[in-house]
Amino acid sequence: MLSILDIIWVLVIGIIVLGFIAVSAMFLIWWERKVSAHIQSRYGPMRVGWHGVLQSVADAVKLLLKENIVPAGADKLVWWLAPFIVVVPSVMAFVVIPFGKNLIVKDLNVGALYLMALSSVCVIGIFMAGWGSNNKYSLIGGMRSAAQIISYEIPLILSMIIVSMQASSLSMQKIVAAQAGYWNILHPNMALAFIVYIISATAEVNRVPFDIPEAESELVAGFHTEYSGMKFAMFFIGEYTNLFIISAIAATLFFGGWQGPVLPGAVWFLIKTYGIVFVLMWVRWTFPRLRVDQLMGFAWKVLTPVSFFNLAVTGWLLLK
Amino acid sequence: MMNGLIQLLSSHGISHDFIIKASFYFIAALTLVFALLVVLSRHIFHAAVYLAVVLIGIAGVYLYLDAEFLAVVQVLIYVGAIVTLFIFTVMLTADTDAGTFGGTLRRISAGALVSLAIFFILVRVINMVTIWKTAVAGASVNLSQLGKSLMTQYALPFEVISLISLAAMIGAIVIGKAEKR
Repeated sequence: MLSILDIIWVLVIGIIVLGFIAVSAMFLIWWERKVSAHIQSRYGPMRVGWHGVLQSVADAVKLLLKENIVPAGADKLVWWLAPFIVVVPSVMAFVVIPFGKNLIVKDLNVGALYLMALSSVCVIGIFMAGWGSNNKYSLIGGMRSAAQIISYEIPLILSMIIVSMQASSLSMQKIVAAQAGYWNILHPNMALAFIVYIISATAEVNRVPFDIPEAESELVAGFHTEYSGMKFAMFFIGEYTNLFIISAIAATLFFGGWQGPVLPGAVWFLIKTYGIVFVLMWVRWTFPRLRVDQLMGFAWKVLTPVSFFNLAVTGWLLLK
Repeated sequence: MMNGLIQLLSSHGISHDFIIKASFYFIAALTLVFALLVVLSRHIFHAAVYLAVVLIGIAGVYLYLDAEFLAVVQVLIYVGAIVTLFIFTVMLTADTDAGTFGGTLRRISAGALVSLAIFFILVRVINMVTIWKTAVAGASVNLSQLGKSLMTQYALPFEVISLISLAAMIGAIVIGKAEKR
């Protein structure tokens, strides 16, 4: 029998998950600033707390207190809803991410596919932000983002399909279980899938070198130019949550997920995930931005054929 | 998917059946309301966003039929690809300052004609379906079974659909190339 205590327990778990998302995003923002600073021989934030660890908390408080400015010509409802539609799929993705042997909200049969579906919903939020702001920079940013996400979704999904072919399941826990003792990344065809995945995933979350939707030098800030205060903070949290999620998916699909010796599963999982996050930050602060035509050409002429080739090779290897 | 919540509520005197029915009617009503809004909205961008809500609602209905795979694919293909493409087209073609369309008599009559035709076609097709009962009972579909039946029992329709998609793709490329010259 369930009682009122169970309801409180469910609420507590919900708050823990949401708290983890918020704290993780704030930590990643601080970490990104530190990584970028050290790559550029600077210190980065140093004043608030030890080496600036509390800087993100201070920024969050500042953003909470800021005025929420609605642009005069904005399409009010669309403008107002957009940040939620960007953030909600990111939060929903946590349902199928396996943090440990039993640390998963629900191991869906179609887990990997569920993640792909969620990542494709995000783009509508970006569109709505771009359209609703009634600003040419926002509109161009939203359109670029859409074109980019449509293009890079194909190699992304294909590389995830290659992994589920190997595990012969779409369930995240079964994919982890299939890698017991021998990680997917150690197969040559999986290593290729990983490279395709990580490039496409970087493009999906609009990070440098694929950040033309929010290129500062030409578009101010792209689709979130007109957002201020907490609405801007939501886009920011969504962005860093997505960064965590794509790294978590990479750790699960290619690096054995929570499996590892001695330490508990969740610790291994976080070590692997934050390792991949660090590599993505490293990439961001070392590579220049691609031009629009180069970006599209790369997705359609390089990544997509490579993934299809890889798919055929993997099928042949599995049937052999 | 929603077992936890249902257990929680059913322990407080609300029956399992009632929760499922109530949530189903809520989702169905929401889907219908947004479907109406898609048609009635004068603002083409809003209509596209409402359409996304309708398609997600239909995915929710699939969940009640235990068709998890179909629900997820519905969101992935229809919301992720097709609505995105719609919005992309709207942004490329519509005059962004005046996002609304006025209804001239000619447009209204043409629209009415087309929608009536589609309505009658759908009525005919739905009347042709005779296996209502088995479809509603819907056992949860095993993914590997689905894959196998696509490759054996339904191999021919599957190949035909692939061919049609390929033809459409080649057609789009041909049209795109011709415009460039």
